Amino acid sequence: MLEIDKINVITKDSKSKILKDLSLKINDGEIHAIMGPNGTGKSTLSKVIMGNYKYELTSGDIIFNNKSIINLSVDERAKLGIFLAMQDPTVIDGVTNSEFLKTATTELTNERINYFDFIKNIDKCLKDLELSEDMIHRSLNKGFSGGEKKKNEILQLKMLKPKFIILDEIDSGLDVDSLKIVCHNINDYLKENKDTSVLIITHYPRILEYINPDYVHIMTDGKITKSGNIELAFETEKNGYNGINDVRKKISNE
Amino acid sequence: MNKIDIGNKEITITSSKELYIYDKEANNRIYNIEKDVVLKVYHYNYDSNSKVVINLNHESAEVEYHYSTINYNDNNTSITVNHNIKNTISNIYNHGVNVLNNKLHFDICGIVPKNIENCICNQENQIINLTNGNSTILPKLLIDNYNVSSSHSAYIGKFKEDSLFYLMSRGISYDTAIKLLVSSLLINSGKDSEELNMFKENIENI
Ligand SMILES: Nc1ncnc2c1ncn2[C@@H]1O[C@H](COP(=O)(O)OP(=O)(O)OP(=O)(O)O)[C@@H](O)[C@H]1O
Ligand SMILES: [Mg+2]
Repeated sequence: MLEIDKINVITKDSKSKILKDLSLKINDGEIHAIMGPNGTGKSTLSKVIMGNYKYELTSGDIIFNNKSIINLSVDERAKLGIFLAMQDPTVIDGVTNSEFLKTATTELTNERINYFDFIKNIDKCLKDLELSEDMIHRSLNKGFSGGEKKKNEILQLKMLKPKFIILDEIDSGLDVDSLKIVCHNINDYLKENKDTSVLIITHYPRILEYINPDYVHIMTDGKITKSGNIELAFETEKNGYNGINDVRKKISNE
Repeated sequence: MNKIDIGNKEITITSSKELYIYDKEANNRIYNIEKDVVLKVYHYNYDSNSKVVINLNHESAEVEYHYSTINYNDNNTSITVNHNIKNTISNIYNHGVNVLNNKLHFDICGIVPKNIENCICNQENQIINLTNGNSTILPKLLIDNYNVSSSHSAYIGKFKEDSLFYLMSRGISYDTAIKLLVSSLLINSGKDSEELNMFKENIENI
């Protein structure tokens, strides 16, 4: 599905190096999680996969379904089925949620949408996520609570049906019950779409108890420094990132 | 509120109403607003100069003016609000999109003289340059009375990269994303009308 091959990434403005020789391979149907300290480059990685123009790839490649995507525009990547649920979804005043979803659906499928089906589908997704119906007529993310913004990202996911999903801190801002609802929705989606792969970026193992990852990676200073299974997430929560490093140092000294 | 059509002239507004205007050539418009009258105007302008004067001549007169313009050539917009008596309210929203490397100038002025109490006088101005157009906004509040609530803001620039990224990350092409953002800036609160439809066509053809 996705293969990130030794990428080096700098910011376009300040030219500061954020990702350093980072590699990661995610196969069809796999769920990967990345944890790492604040400012280590997790969100940057997600935006670079999506094609954000604030970052420049100085070397390396990103392969999606056997094709390099690094020269594709953001919308072209989305059309291949890549979806990024953002850590901080952007407020767009004046563009309503429904107008936005209609436009996105039309452009993704390249077909005129059937309004009746479209509305039926939205209504069902809103119910599944326990979001109120008026959310759909409001300006995109404007005045949404932290949790509503995150649920709205999942609403888009359910409507737009991607093949590769990146969840950047989808769990932050969600209360206990909302987290359960969101994870159930994602799990249901994955059950229906078995080949879909997921990259979960998180600070807490709790979300990983609902959506079980095949692999957990630790990212520090712009690269992946350790990989393992869900135990690694619990260990990190217990000992912190320095704790893990200490353990590693000890092992390598021995 | 009912809808009426006006030409290129001075008019006196005697009852509360909404006006819809579509201009594609230079126009001078003067509004005199009577007592207790609330006037809302949705003024769409396609690539032309425009001069608007609003006179709040009687108590409790109120105006809400939404001016939206798309430009390909050098154009000036001038809007002046005269608070000629106490207890009057003006809220002016000017939004422009500058498509080419042209020059768009907004000269927006709210005037409250010394002896005029208890007014509200606000203006909000925005120009988006789609290419490297050259735009200027001159927001002026000439307020000589202390007992007035007023605010103004002016933004000139491009659409935020984050907004474009968000829209495009859902599969929306650059061109469509720009049109969505232009529509949201220029026709935010306008209701369906013939004038709006003409203006929408202009947006579609950017
Ligand atoms: N556009 C940018 N311009 C300048 N610096 C940037 C830009 N984007 C990210 N950075 C910097 O790169 C580093 C990595 O940021 P990033 O958002 O990827 O971190 P993160 O791992 O997601 O952190 P968090 O856990 O806090 O969300 C930070 O130091 C950040 O300030
Ligand atoms: Mg982040």
